[in-house]
Amino acid sequence: MSAPAIEIDHLVKRYGDFTAVEDVSLRVAQGEFFGFLGPNGAGKTTTINAIVGLAQPNSGAIRVFGYDNHVEWREARRLIGLAPQEYNFDRYLSIRDVLIFQAGYFGLRGPKVKERADMLLERFGLASKAKDEYTRLSGGMKRRLTLARALIHEPKLVILDEPTAGVDVELRLELWQLLRDLNGDGLTIFLTTHYLEEAEELCKTIAIIREGRIVTQQSTESLIADGARLQDVFLELTRA
Amino acid sequence: MIQEVPSFNRVALWTLIKREMIRSLKIINQVIWPPVISTLLYVFVFGLALGSRIQTVQGVTYAQFLIPGLIMLQTIDSSYGECSSSVFQGRFMNSIQEMLIAPMSAFEIVFGYVLGSLARAILIAALITVLGAVLVHTWPQNWLLYFGVLCMVSILFSSLGLIFGLMAEKFDHLAVLTTFVITPLTFVGGVFTSAAMLPQVLQRLELVNPIFYTIDAFRRSYTGESFLPPWLSLSVIALLMVVALGIALRMMAIGYKLRT
Repeated sequence: MSAPAIEIDHLVKRYGDFTAVEDVSLRVAQGEFFGFLGPNGAGKTTTINAIVGLAQPNSGAIRVFGYDNHVEWREARRLIGLAPQEYNFDRYLSIRDVLIFQAGYFGLRGPKVKERADMLLERFGLASKAKDEYTRLSGGMKRRLTLARALIHEPKLVILDEPTAGVDVELRLELWQLLRDLNGDGLTIFLTTHYLEEAEELCKTIAIIREGRIVTQQSTESLIADGARLQDVFLELTRA
Repeated sequence: MIQEVPSFNRVALWTLIKREMIRSLKIINQVIWPPVISTLLYVFVFGLALGSRIQTVQGVTYAQFLIPGLIMLQTIDSSYGECSSSVFQGRFMNSIQEMLIAPMSAFEIVFGYVLGSLARAILIAALITVLGAVLVHTWPQNWLLYFGVLCMVSILFSSLGLIFGLMAEKFDHLAVLTTFVITPLTFVGGVFTSAAMLPQVLQRLELVNPIFYTIDAFRRSYTGESFLPPWLSLSVIALLMVVALGIALRMMAIGYKLRT
């Protein structure tokens, strides 16, 4: 049996006296489109940061495709692409170089990387801006560049933190289709979003976190069985 | 494209060095030309105008005496400035996250920044060396000593820059070390004067100024003379470099102000 894309066991993360994540355990199967929902400050970003190595857990274990992200960190990180909510591109590089340099940090270089960068720029509608700096892109283009950068090293898992925050309806639908296509190609997607219709539309499985604890993890289908709306289920589970 | 993950990510190291070099060239009017222009001005005002009243220092004209000191001054300033501002900017803009989520070790990140900074220092030193050769007809007599000291001093101050780039909470904090420590110690550390010109009390005080050792050893590569034996200066510089580099590596390894 293949290892889960993400396997979190009893994760605890504290900041001083504040416990951001309390005994979180999760399994995300390979190839899954997984939604990770919760109100602001519930522990979503802390959990993501712990998966990608930006936060150091107080206790618990995280494995990515079977690799312990603390011990076998190089192997684990190699398999993850992160699209953060905030734009954090290198301002000294052109858009094409943002992708090529990111691949470099992942240990990849050469003509294949350049070809893949050009392919991604084409696929995400950024080819005409390849030589520009990111500051010259529109908000929607920056979102797409965030996603392209997360994919440049061909990860097996992509973590998307609010990928459609602040974009118009048209672009949101376009991004949804892109994400569906990527998932269709076998990519595991771990998505956080405040748009519940987005989670309902895209995710096969949903976990909801409240005050650092997982309150449910089940298939989207069973979560909204009997005609329930995800919004109502979410509010019921996350109200104090 | 998925490949075996090497235990040493040399591609990432080179990528970061290249990134730092691109950054330097993008802000060339801010970081490359100013040290060259200010060196030119120092040579004209202090070396050729005022210096014409001084006969010789360490067996060379005063303008020739100035050149190695000015190279050290700019190497120190450029190395500290490059690493401190690049790391702080990366933290401020959060673009450093691109490296933190990648399979890059603390060693690769620290050496990427430090060697990128060294490349800038070598470029500036080379330009000033050419200026010295053209304007006052002086050039290094001992290239091994020239490069040895240049590299060690650049690595020392790049490491300090990295440490302060990690510690700073705002850009203003980066200037604390330069304004209150580096610049005063550099100016009294022998850029403009030979220790032999100073009264004995001040000569003794120079021995607690780490920058004095860097300038004294570097000047020897030009004049063949130094106030202190070269092994002593080189040992002090090497020791400081290892300590600063060690602290920078440790801070990066624990993710100081980078990983929560």
